[in-house]
Amino acid sequence: MFDRRWTKLIRDLTTHRLRTTLVVLSIAVGIFAVGVVMGGRGILVREFDEDFTTSTPASAQFMTEGLDAAVVRDVERRPDVRYADGRRRVAVRFTAEESPSEGTVGWPTMRLWAIPDFAAIRVQKIGRQSAASWPPGPGEIVLESGALQVEDFAIGDMITVEGPSGTRAPMRVVGFAHDINAYPAKFTSAITGFVSMESMDALDEPRDLNSMAVLFSKRDYTRGEASRMAADIRDTELASAGVRVVRTEVPEPGSHFFGDIFKAVSLLLLALGVLSLGLSAFLVVTTVSAIMAQQARQVGIMKAVGARTGQVTGMYLGLVVAYGLLAVAVALPAGLLAGRAFAEYGASVLNFRIVDYTPPLWVFVLEVGVGVLIPVAAAMVPIALGTKTPVAHALAATGISSSFGKGLIDRALGTLRGLPRPVALSLRNTFLRKGRLLLTLTTLALASAVVMSVLSARASMLKTVDDMSSWWRYDAQAILAQPAPASLVEREAESVDGVTAVETWVESQASLSRPDGTENESLFAIGLPPKTGFITPSVVAGRWLREGEADAVVVNTDITKEEKWIEPGDTIRLDIRGTEKEWKVVGIVTGQLMGPVAYMPSEALDSAMAAEGAVGRVLVQTSEHTAEAQRRAADQLDRKLDGAGVVVADTLTQTKQAEDIAGQFGILVVFLVIMASLLALVGVIGLIGTMSINVLESVREIGVMRATGAGHAAIFSIFITEGVVVALMAWAIGAVVSWPLSVFLVNALGVAMSLPLSYAFSYVGVLAWLAGVVLIAVLASIVPAWNASRVSVRDAIAYE
Amino acid sequence: MTPEDAPLPLIALDAVVKTYDTGEVPFTALREVNLHVHTGEFVGLIGKSGSGKTTLVNMITGIDRPTSGAVVVDGTPIHELSENELALWRGRTIGVVFQFFQLLPTLTTIENVMLPMDFANVIPSGERFDRAMHLLEQVEMADQAHKLPSALSGGQQQRVAIARALANDPPVIAADEPTGNLDSKTAEAVFTLFEELVERHKTIIMVTHDNDLAGRVRRALHVSDGEIVEERIHRARVGA
Ligand SMILES: Nc1ncnc2c1ncn2[C@@H]1O[C@H](COP(=O)(O)OP(=O)(O)O)[C@@H](O)[C@H]1O
Ligand SMILES: [Mg+2]
Repeated sequence: MFDRRWTKLIRDLTTHRLRTTLVVLSIAVGIFAVGVVMGGRGILVREFDEDFTTSTPASAQFMTEGLDAAVVRDVERRPDVRYADGRRRVAVRFTAEESPSEGTVGWPTMRLWAIPDFAAIRVQKIGRQSAASWPPGPGEIVLESGALQVEDFAIGDMITVEGPSGTRAPMRVVGFAHDINAYPAKFTSAITGFVSMESMDALDEPRDLNSMAVLFSKRDYTRGEASRMAADIRDTELASAGVRVVRTEVPEPGSHFFGDIFKAVSLLLLALGVLSLGLSAFLVVTTVSAIMAQQARQVGIMKAVGARTGQVTGMYLGLVVAYGLLAVAVALPAGLLAGRAFAEYGASVLNFRIVDYTPPLWVFVLEVGVGVLIPVAAAMVPIALGTKTPVAHALAATGISSSFGKGLIDRALGTLRGLPRPVALSLRNTFLRKGRLLLTLTTLALASAVVMSVLSARASMLKTVDDMSSWWRYDAQAILAQPAPASLVEREAESVDGVTAVETWVESQASLSRPDGTENESLFAIGLPPKTGFITPSVVAGRWLREGEADAVVVNTDITKEEKWIEPGDTIRLDIRGTEKEWKVVGIVTGQLMGPVAYMPSEALDSAMAAEGAVGRVLVQTSEHTAEAQRRAADQLDRKLDGAGVVVADTLTQTKQAEDIAGQFGILVVFLVIMASLLALVGVIGLIGTMSINVLESVREIGVMRATGAGHAAIFSIFITEGVVVALMAWAIGAVVSWPLSVFLVNALGVAMSLPLSYAFSYVGVLAWLAGVVLIAVLASIVPAWNASRVSVRDAIAYE
Repeated sequence: MTPEDAPLPLIALDAVVKTYDTGEVPFTALREVNLHVHTGEFVGLIGKSGSGKTTLVNMITGIDRPTSGAVVVDGTPIHELSENELALWRGRTIGVVFQFFQLLPTLTTIENVMLPMDFANVIPSGERFDRAMHLLEQVEMADQAHKLPSALSGGQQQRVAIARALANDPPVIAADEPTGNLDSKTAEAVFTLFEELVERHKTIIMVTHDNDLAGRVRRALHVSDGEIVEERIHRARVGA
């Protein structure tokens, strides 16, 4: 039945436009946050999963030396193998310069895949994106689209590629493809390219396969089972064909290498969603309480003319539902658009494609629920209180509170002498409506705490990066394509200009036997002088290596993360180049984003793998540590080794490596900043709302002040001061709360990423937010204060 | 029907005490007040500001509750009713008129008159508009039916408030200083409206400051310090 009750509601909505806008905005901001965060997250998770699943990720991947297509077919004939695809993987250097220099100094690295038949790929599928010619013919190359994020490539570009043997071949970029299983160029500084097998001839490379991706027939299996099956393939088909396996990779089934970061981002987004919901609920309570206070007299009148409490409650709940629906109408489309943009951004960072931008249906349901149910739930208490007020009491309500002067704070404020009277008035006004103050403070303090925690989390990430970088003490290093004699390598390295120290490392793939008989084949063994001056190992348990220990090993946390059973004092079995040997674990050190590494004294590893003095890596320290000087040293090192007949697979400088690590954390930092901004927005809208309502409620007081001679400026400054006072209090509370909150956040992120993060409290962030929150307070108060300063005496007295 | 014929009073207050304990010391605003009002009576309450007139009227309208004592109106012991029962009862039994008119600002004149009908739900919804229009005609406000209260003068607002008080055709009208905010000419017109209502057998309790008006009611009660200290009966209406 559409009677006068609903007429009143609709008139209230349309008459008090400012108030309606404020309430609708405070609800809308919560819905919006849910839309962006949950919607964006929903799209990202689903599309990433979709993209990853349709690529048919490998159950296991084998890097071999020389692999015949017939052997791959043999492997596929196994009942436990569904598909086996063979490719050739070559690490090359390339340049886009028209007249390439002698030597490959300064040339970027590329992971080049030669694929026998592009149409027949069944595992780790590659998606054609924009290709003038597909598949690439001889002399043509298709680049993984992540390359576009590090350099400007265009279809038709010519590049020069140099293979491991030193032979060069020009190649035409004929298109871009998408490979979700390729590590994005952005994070490795190496791009990925695809060519046909025929193109190997031009690089003087054999057409042999050297990599095999396998998909198991079984759908559900554990990583342990997968490792066992992979080992069996290696020991049966591959061993009998005489294929030497360099490295086996068995990923966590169904899990992408970005899984950890994804989990962390997803966790952050979830936390953000929940927090903004909470804040939004606070805003609604604040505004609805204010409305009920304003409506007290009208509630009294209605009850005096025969309205029952239930009828009045129903009216105001109806009002809140109307506010909610309006908010949904505003926020749903806005959230949809922003969520889309957010997902788009996430996809570009994580290098995958989004096909369907529709958020999951439940997000819409949640948004409508949030928009209607949360306000109704939040409004219950203020409405119940407002409608329960005895009629006599409600009728006496004038809108001017006279309860000031009873509490402790009031009396303290009342005794403050010597303040300019307008400031004193602002202070007293702030505390006049204590319930409101409490709610606004809670909202703004919570938002402040989150913003400052996020800034601390960001500082912690930067510190983690810093700690990781300072772990390394080299300036430049070269990774050799083939082991080379230590004496030769050291002599060349020492002759590089400005070099002050040189160290060579023995390196090898290794596989670890687990107690249950399975193997972890993705270990990397490094032999180095125990007194190394090139790294600063941070020992988590046990101790570092000592001189002359023949069977001591130190493992990093990337190993113990998977192999939780390993403890200092244990004996482990490692298979290095086909020779098994027992090693005594003397300590555990933190991982440095290098993956699972086992450290041994150089001589111990050398003798275990019969390297006979051949090393795989050389590191130098130079007198200068600028990025420029390091790059120069790396280039010279590259050139000298090349001149001595030692093929370099890649060179690294310490600054570049630090940048790469920072880049990975950069994703998280960006998401953290988005999160902080959204919450700050909620806080801002909350403060604007409170200030405006305060002005609305103070109209009579303002009129009285005006009548007694207060000018525009005086009234303007009273309300600005009030806003700043609230903001300062919120900042102080938030700063205190942000300390435990940020510790919790950093720990949670560390757990989600399986990477213990260093913690740093951001004092800079706390100070920056002080400036930010004061600015926000001033901005949020300007419009209400302006409105207040324009109240005329006549309006004030006539105000209803 | 005259008061003499009616065996039972329409309104009966029996030893009503009202004590406010909001201040530091409890304050007794009504001290054992006894009062009987019969159907068709026009009762005026006079007394100094703060003597307890509003408190007394609030006891009769159920807007406030007695601390002790009984209030029976039209056979209903209203001091025993719950808030909800009170609201329902008030909507049908009593029309309230306030000093400050108290119209809802966002509803038009006629909508304000229809609102109590919507709450009480006694008048069928199809008849509400016509009835409200009829009531506005009685108070000579029909031509202002679609204006908002802010567009009306004080006297006009009070006429609308009286029409609203009559919305559900209650037997009793309680008015707390209905002319207190009006100039004497407008006050006279509003008072005349009340006199016409009495002629139509409504029972009226009216608080007033105006001694002239007080002299014209049938029965004037003088309230002082929470007690009814004097009662004057005017058998013949002045100017009748
Ligand atoms: N809610 C209340 N709390 C405390 N004292 C009250 C309250 N309402 C009225 N009083 C006091 O009771 C006395 C009678 O008030 P009231 O009935 O309003 O007087 P009148 O209407 O005759 O001016 C006054 O002294 C007044 O201060
Ligand atoms: Mg009074």
